[in-house]
Amino acid sequence: MIKELDSPFRLVGVNRKVKDVSILSGMTFDVSAGERIAVLGPSGAGKTTLLRLLSVQILPDTGFIELFGSDTSYLRPGRDLSRAVGIISQQFDLVSNMSVIHNVLAGRLGEWSLFKSLYSLVSIRDPEVALNALNVMGLMGKEGLRVSQLSGGEQQRVAIARLMVQDPRIIIADEPVASLDPERSNEIMSLIEGVVVDRKKTLIATLHSLKLAHRYFDRAIGIRKGKIYFDVPTSSLTERILNELYRIDHD
Amino acid sequence: MIRIWQRFDVSLLKGKSATILILMVMFFVCLISVDWSELSPHGGGRSSIWTILSGFTTLDLSREFMLIALESTWITVTYSFCAISIALVIGIIGGLLASGTIFESWLGKLAGVVGFRVVLALIRSIHELIWAWFIAIVLGFTPISGVIALAIPYGAIIARVFADFLNDVPEAPLRSLRSSGAGPIKILIYGRIPLASRDMVSYGFYRFECCVRSAAVLSFIGLPGIGYQIAVSLEDLNFGQVWTLLLFLVGLVVSVDYWGSRVRRNMME
Repeated sequence: MIKELDSPFRLVGVNRKVKDVSILSGMTFDVSAGERIAVLGPSGAGKTTLLRLLSVQILPDTGFIELFGSDTSYLRPGRDLSRAVGIISQQFDLVSNMSVIHNVLAGRLGEWSLFKSLYSLVSIRDPEVALNALNVMGLMGKEGLRVSQLSGGEQQRVAIARLMVQDPRIIIADEPVASLDPERSNEIMSLIEGVVVDRKKTLIATLHSLKLAHRYFDRAIGIRKGKIYFDVPTSSLTERILNELYRIDHD
Repeated sequence: MIRIWQRFDVSLLKGKSATILILMVMFFVCLISVDWSELSPHGGGRSSIWTILSGFTTLDLSREFMLIALESTWITVTYSFCAISIALVIGIIGGLLASGTIFESWLGKLAGVVGFRVVLALIRSIHELIWAWFIAIVLGFTPISGVIALAIPYGAIIARVFADFLNDVPEAPLRSLRSSGAGPIKILIYGRIPLASRDMVSYGFYRFECCVRSAAVLSFIGLPGIGYQIAVSLEDLNFGQVWTLLLFLVGLVVSVDYWGSRVRRNMME
């Protein structure tokens, strides 16, 4: 059982290799409850690997990560983990030829018994939870459509609605606004912020925009070549620091 | 100066050239080993071709024969429909087991994949005609023998293909279901099956089409149905009737195909 007393994350000397190439090395930092952290850094810096470690999809090679005080190497996917961490990714990762409401209710699969999960395909269970989430996302009346019939932006909001239904205490977002224009980026970020702030959640997201970092996050962690480059409050984050982080070495 | 062969990307052929060479050698060996002297039509063969083709102009459209043709077509439809229904049940269950997706442990996955795939391979390597002989020996030449003879190998083929479909769905949606706390069976019903469903329906209809043709062939060996009627007309050398029956068979296969494409289109919308 994952307790709620401890801080969401504690990383100590986390190293992770992929095929003998070191992706992350010596990652050490703590995350306190309710923090909103922007993870910045150039492509290939190891941001996605870090998020996959935090969402317990992979484990560190050496060092350890504590999730609410439990070492992640002892956690198995399932109900407890789904209550602790939820992820939303760039490609939304929805089941495209299922209806919107079933995709949203997939957030309950950890809670539901197998029978209830099956039964819901015939006669929808807990519809009010899903409809409420869709309402917040401005998708009222679209619950019966197939996901493939929605636009990219709408699909992203379905993914956020699913996260609302799953209701994890930590939300991990991998480039949630990649390939969106500034207007839509703002819209999606404020929807995610709404979910996070209303329910006092912790948010960790990767992104590249100084503006969005200032507006929606209170802490910024810069990653370069698998190491922490800076870890500062967003208030002290400047264009100059960011350019330094993203510079291209010609060596 | 660049030589001509250097302009081609040799890496594209790497590893394939051996296969291509073997195939070409096999082709020529086979060409030589076939006894071509028997190809020329035997005495009167040429005129038989003409007789067979001219049957097309003397189609038997009489009321009595139309009723026979309709009835035998209907029998073939019912057999193949029963057979494909049983085969689909076998296919879905066998496909789930052989895909290894419902097992949580590595051991279970391995046993499922290796064990079931071997069993399925053994079953489907025996043709439905041979199954029909086996089953007819046990149960006699009854319609049920025909249905079972079709359902067994078809079930094994469908299971194998369904297993591949279930394994080949995109990983990302499954990962996000896993992070929502879903176990293998919930991932199967909320992810794998919906993601594979269009391919599965499409392949199911294709197999139904094959099943109609197989059912017709099976009835050549004495089971009632359109194949039996074709055999009877062939014995009478009544090619007008043979062609009429073949047109019914073509109509049947085309209808199944049309039905399948309608269902697929509905799924896409």
